[in-house]
Amino acid sequence: MRARCPNCDSPVDSDAPKCDKCGALFGTGWKPVPFPEDTGPEQRYPVEFTGAAGEYFRIWIVNLVLTILTLGVYSAWAKVRRRRYFYGHTRIDREGFEYRGRPIAILKGRLIAVAAVALFYGTANFASSLIWLLAILIVCAAPWLIVRSMAFNAYNSAYRNIRLRFRGTYLQCLGLLLWTGFILVVTFGLAYPYFKARLMEFLFRNHSYGTTAFEVPDLSYFGIYVRAVGLGLFVGLAAALGGKFFNAVVGDGSRAASTLIGYIGYLFIFSYIRAEIANATWSVVRIRKARFECALRTGDLFWLYLVNIIAIVATLGLAAPWAMVRAMRYRAQKMTVFAAGGLESFVAAESAEVGAAGEEIGEMFDFDLSL
Amino acid sequence: MIEFDAIFYDGKTSTRNAVRVRGFPRSLRIVGAGYDLEVPLAAVRVEPPVAGTRRLLHLPGGAQLQTDDDAALRALFPRSNPLETWVHGLEGRWAYALAAVAVAAGFTWWCAVYGLPLAAELASAHVPTSIEAKLGDRALESIDQTLCGPTAIDAGKQGELSRNFAALTAGQGDGYTYRLEFRACKGMGANAFALPGGAVVLTDALVKLAQNDAQISAVLAHEVGHVRHRHGLRLAIQAAGLAALIATLAGDAVSITGLAVTLPTALLQSGYSREFEDESDAYAFRRLKEIKLSPKYFAEILARIEESRNKDPDGNRGSGPERRRSDLGYLSTHPSTAERIERALKNQ
Repeated sequence: MRARCPNCDSPVDSDAPKCDKCGALFGTGWKPVPFPEDTGPEQRYPVEFTGAAGEYFRIWIVNLVLTILTLGVYSAWAKVRRRRYFYGHTRIDREGFEYRGRPIAILKGRLIAVAAVALFYGTANFASSLIWLLAILIVCAAPWLIVRSMAFNAYNSAYRNIRLRFRGTYLQCLGLLLWTGFILVVTFGLAYPYFKARLMEFLFRNHSYGTTAFEVPDLSYFGIYVRAVGLGLFVGLAAALGGKFFNAVVGDGSRAASTLIGYIGYLFIFSYIRAEIANATWSVVRIRKARFECALRTGDLFWLYLVNIIAIVATLGLAAPWAMVRAMRYRAQKMTVFAAGGLESFVAAESAEVGAAGEEIGEMFDFDLSL
Repeated sequence: MIEFDAIFYDGKTSTRNAVRVRGFPRSLRIVGAGYDLEVPLAAVRVEPPVAGTRRLLHLPGGAQLQTDDDAALRALFPRSNPLETWVHGLEGRWAYALAAVAVAAGFTWWCAVYGLPLAAELASAHVPTSIEAKLGDRALESIDQTLCGPTAIDAGKQGELSRNFAALTAGQGDGYTYRLEFRACKGMGANAFALPGGAVVLTDALVKLAQNDAQISAVLAHEVGHVRHRHGLRLAIQAAGLAALIATLAGDAVSITGLAVTLPTALLQSGYSREFEDESDAYAFRRLKEIKLSPKYFAEILARIEESRNKDPDGNRGSGPERRRSDLGYLSTHPSTAERIERALKNQ
């Protein structure tokens, strides 16, 4: 059973003779303080999103204009404000999430990213003889980018004043990408579901909420992708037949009709993969005694995206905040947390493992490369 | 004295503690759920407010207070986060939001119509011609893969037109290596176009449409004007700038739909080239007179192109929506043909 040291608050076993952290001896005067029971009846916590389109629209447009007026410098502050709005309004058991990213760190990350992108395009377009060097550089940098941006985002996301953490390392990620990349090449891309499943396992298993690691069993997405390919064949057929039909009835425009059917079909398949992968993954994630239920539906998601795209295009972008709030509300609404014994007994990482180095780690992660 | 209800998280566990906080001139006193803490105000880090969410106070040692009592925090920490507090005030009012919409719309319009073309003109001056030539080569490759096929013009005629073209471009001293490319481009009809770096593509249909070589030289002079004024490069820079601008403005929305980004780019593109055409026309008239050809040939060939399109929009170029669209595109990107013909005749 889990408990904490009454002297230094580190987590200890309830029958431990002494605290490994501060050395306090238990048994006579001091006793480990037990956490609330983990094994109580399972409680249900719906995830809520309480943001409102009008409120977010004002935040979005004001921060956009400030970004314009400062020639882009303010964009890092704008990103933090938008994130904090979305995090703060995403609530479980009435408690909102918290985004702690600092604008200066994000600004630094953006400058690095802009320089990297410029270098990439410059080399690709004007020094194509160096393209092999660029390819090697990308292979080396990709795991670093993935690991660092996951770590930055996790470290800067908190719930109930406990940060998430990401512990995946560069070498692990490099090994994963090289191995799955090899399999992808050998199978001419057919192993994509295998790649996707290994990547998701890597990302989820290396996350923890405080000291409590995410547990994920082995994932498999083969069924999802096989059905998606089936849908793709169906869409192709529908586009071809639809074009012919349109041509027969109207006499022209078969290509436009086929293209439209193709785009809509693509959006449907995209929604299908999104919904099914999220459901299959979140529904098996465990964080100690907490589990999730994710019940996205392809039809809902497809309709949501379709209406969002039409609204954004028709309003020349002004409907974007409304679209984002709508998408977030739907995703939250379909997500539920179940936790035995409640959500009160998770332990923060700093006191247990990172200790005084916590602040330093923050500095190390002090840039964000997810543009 | 300021007092407020709050939730206290010690930063070590996720246990929620309901507490009462009392604010003193130099410290906060946190009482409740077995706690009785005194924290100096100077050690408290206040998170800026965000609409509809709890206010957060970071305490020393990683603890945190969360409260809905915004008024109490404003009174306790009147000078915290001046920038974000000011922005938060702007975000709260529809009047400011509507003003922001107007500024954003005005800025986007100004950029698309004036800012980007100007920036592209300035930037293009710093691009060496060797890079322009590379861009042109890549463009020609992609045209060959999608739009155009090999020419059916016989070698003798090709040689004759190439010699005329050499005379047209001789002694320019502008650093470009001009060359004439013959292509059969089914979707384009009678057309000629300039690529960055000096390649000029002439379609078979235009060679057939022209009554004499002087008319073809007149069109080519116009295309050379595009090359000299770096119109292709400027257009490419403008398009890239517009895409970057929209990506910046749309921000997170981009991930929702790439479609919304590409659409306005395409819409705005057609408005750009009007000035470019006028510039190239002016150059063509000047150059034609230098090589002792009358700009009237330019007027003649323009009239013939216009006539062939009006008379028979599908013509011998087959039928289908994409053909008609490219004709529409041609007409809308070029200034009124009648006006240009008139100007050519005036310049004789």
